[in-house]
Amino acid sequence: MSHKPLAGIRVADFTWVWAGPFCTLQLAHLGAEVIRVETPQRPCVTRLLPPFADLEPGLNRSGYFNQYNQGKRSLSLNLKNPRGIEIARRLIERSDVVAENFAAGVMERMGLGYDDIRRLKPDVVMVSISGYGRSGPEKEFVSYGPATVPLAGFSAVTGYAGGPPMHVGISYGDPTAGLHAALAVLAALHHRRRTGEGQFIDVSLWEASASLLPDALLDHEMNGIDPSRDGNRHPRMAPHGVFRCAGEDRWVSIVVGDETEWRALCSAMEDPALAADPRFATLAERKRNEDGLEERIHQWTRSLAPDEVTRRLQAAGVAAFTTMTNQDLAEDPHLARRGFFVDLPHPEVGPRHHAGIPWRMSATPCTVESPAPCLGEHTRDVLERVLAYGPAEIDALAAAGALG
Amino acid sequence: MDAGALAHLRVVEVGSGLAAAHAAKLLADLGADVVKVESPGGDVTRRLGPFPGGRPDPEASGLFLYLNANKRGVVLDLDAGSDRTRFGRLLDGADLLLHDVEPAKLAGYGLDPEGVLRGRPRLVAASISPFGLSGPYRDYKAYDLNLWNAGGIACLNGGGPGTDALPPLRTFGYQAMFQAGLNAAIASLGALYARDGSGTGQHVEISVQECLVTILELTYPFWPYCRLITSRLGYKPIQPLDFFACRDGWVFLCAVEEHQWKTFVEVMGDPAWAGVEMFADRLQRAAHWDALKPLIADWMAGQTVAELYGMLQRRRVPIAPVSTMGDLLSSEHLAARGFFVSFAHPHAGRHRMPGAPYHLTRTPWALRRPAPLLGQHTAEVFAEGARS
Repeated sequence: MSHKPLAGIRVADFTWVWAGPFCTLQLAHLGAEVIRVETPQRPCVTRLLPPFADLEPGLNRSGYFNQYNQGKRSLSLNLKNPRGIEIARRLIERSDVVAENFAAGVMERMGLGYDDIRRLKPDVVMVSISGYGRSGPEKEFVSYGPATVPLAGFSAVTGYAGGPPMHVGISYGDPTAGLHAALAVLAALHHRRRTGEGQFIDVSLWEASASLLPDALLDHEMNGIDPSRDGNRHPRMAPHGVFRCAGEDRWVSIVVGDETEWRALCSAMEDPALAADPRFATLAERKRNEDGLEERIHQWTRSLAPDEVTRRLQAAGVAAFTTMTNQDLAEDPHLARRGFFVDLPHPEVGPRHHAGIPWRMSATPCTVESPAPCLGEHTRDVLERVLAYGPAEIDALAAAGALG
Repeated sequence: MDAGALAHLRVVEVGSGLAAAHAAKLLADLGADVVKVESPGGDVTRRLGPFPGGRPDPEASGLFLYLNANKRGVVLDLDAGSDRTRFGRLLDGADLLLHDVEPAKLAGYGLDPEGVLRGRPRLVAASISPFGLSGPYRDYKAYDLNLWNAGGIACLNGGGPGTDALPPLRTFGYQAMFQAGLNAAIASLGALYARDGSGTGQHVEISVQECLVTILELTYPFWPYCRLITSRLGYKPIQPLDFFACRDGWVFLCAVEEHQWKTFVEVMGDPAWAGVEMFADRLQRAAHWDALKPLIADWMAGQTVAELYGMLQRRRVPIAPVSTMGDLLSSEHLAARGFFVSFAHPHAGRHRMPGAPYHLTRTPWALRRPAPLLGQHTAEVFAEGARS
């Protein structure tokens, strides 16, 4: 069996909340040894947020934390204690990558900014993730995940026709920045392997997110207009919508991209009158009469279960899919057949279904090896095996309050 | 010298024009030599716009110009036998193939997982498809909207409590494909890192649906952890965390920590209603949001976005403008960081577009050339092939 792609790469992970841990999750999925530096004085925000297993709160019981920290290890340190900082420096000396997403200046105040740590480890790759980035007039501004979505431009162009700006439903800037950060780290590791050089990487949620709105930005640049909020519609496809089905709050998405698909939709709906109706005969006509078109489709979907609509339309070659809830996903036979979910036994919450790795590799299979760590679960092991402290030294560090 | 971190990689991209194109763009912008293969009819994104003056022109589509800058373009007809041989030669010289060709067509194009690696032991071949290359939905057709629904994100966005007549709502653009592109680029660079150690390439398979399920934040685990369904219709557990209209635009206010709320109340001039018991903490403020929101909204309506943003941010209250595209293009912060880059294109003219999503100190992101015209580099690329 081959080694995983990043076998032998160690990550000193000072991140918290979502963007940073999502970055290091990618590296863990690729086989890096990710050591999360945690502190019981100020636990990761996601350890304190629901959902808690069986509604019972606890630092190791949050599904949010346990989802985004699979396969990582937890080292508990008190970073307000000078000896805690000493341990952090020793970890960095023995790491290839350092990741952090604290507010501006926090790492520097601990003596762990890039200028400090490159002296400890000249070829280190350090990635810093923040809402605004580490330069520019607003770099000190406070950033919360949900606010990054409107800041980056998504809300202005997302919403129902004639309605207010809307959200995405998740703090979309966080995973988007986390993925960009992981990608930049991988590129830097390629560069380091060829040249021996490390470097510093600055990722902002704002820029990573705004880079996913090129069509809206170029519309403004080319034509001086922002795309208007238009629900689920698309300027060059119709129908392009989400339609109510039978059942409580059940919906299905249906998209017709060309005339072949339009004819297939009409025949799957067994509605020859629709196919013959001149108001819907071309894309231009369907766009002009889209309200009426959507109402016709809704009359058909409203009495059917969403999965039935999906099945019938896909059989006819039309793109349709159920609006999946979290329960639908957990029980989805396709995802189950593909072995996507991971349910490793966790010492406090037992086996729970978690989203796994969205890629498969034929020669270096990437699998999640362990559930998310309990707070401080690997402290002694990391101190002994990675940082080569002796048992007496570890006891002294604990007595001095360095371990949190 | 500043050739980029990935200047040693030769990448071939083929497919639908969105997910694989985005993955290849991310690598091209870091220096990889990407050859984009288009069909004689041209890439889908050449028809998606936006277009200067609103006039469709396959050489001036904004989405195409953004996704394909820094690449060279060749035209091949993969449905024709002779071009398939040339395509094979292109792959012989590549480190990485990125494609989002539909699963049913893979074998015919020689891109099935075993076939594509035959005789190319060092190649990494990455396939992106809506639902992956196995399982009952393998051959399902899906556009971005379908995937946003299939991945469980659409059901989280809508008008909130009492708006169940409105459908789950998409997010602007082609976000499902962009997320898949990011994941594909990560997995590919991982596989190439492994290859540079072992000498052996491999096949990598990416499912767009699965990529989206990994970004459901805290919502997905509500089912396995509590047997609760998350939806757009639920109440937020804490407030304020909401949109407000000001005199000249919109803002999004996050004042969920006690000190942030207190500061915000001070800035509003300590209105009497802010002291009442039913707004005493963030849980109460959420429980009585229907009563509280109009009171805040009334004050917000008299403010201007820029003043409010500066004033509250200076006092450490997280608030953000609802940026319009014009706001982004004129942001002093983004300008100071050099976010937008300017390009000149023979058909589209000179425009700005998003640039570096990350700053790497030694191997910076760089715009090296504009997107190719259809078939612009076909002769050049195959002449190189003949030399090697």
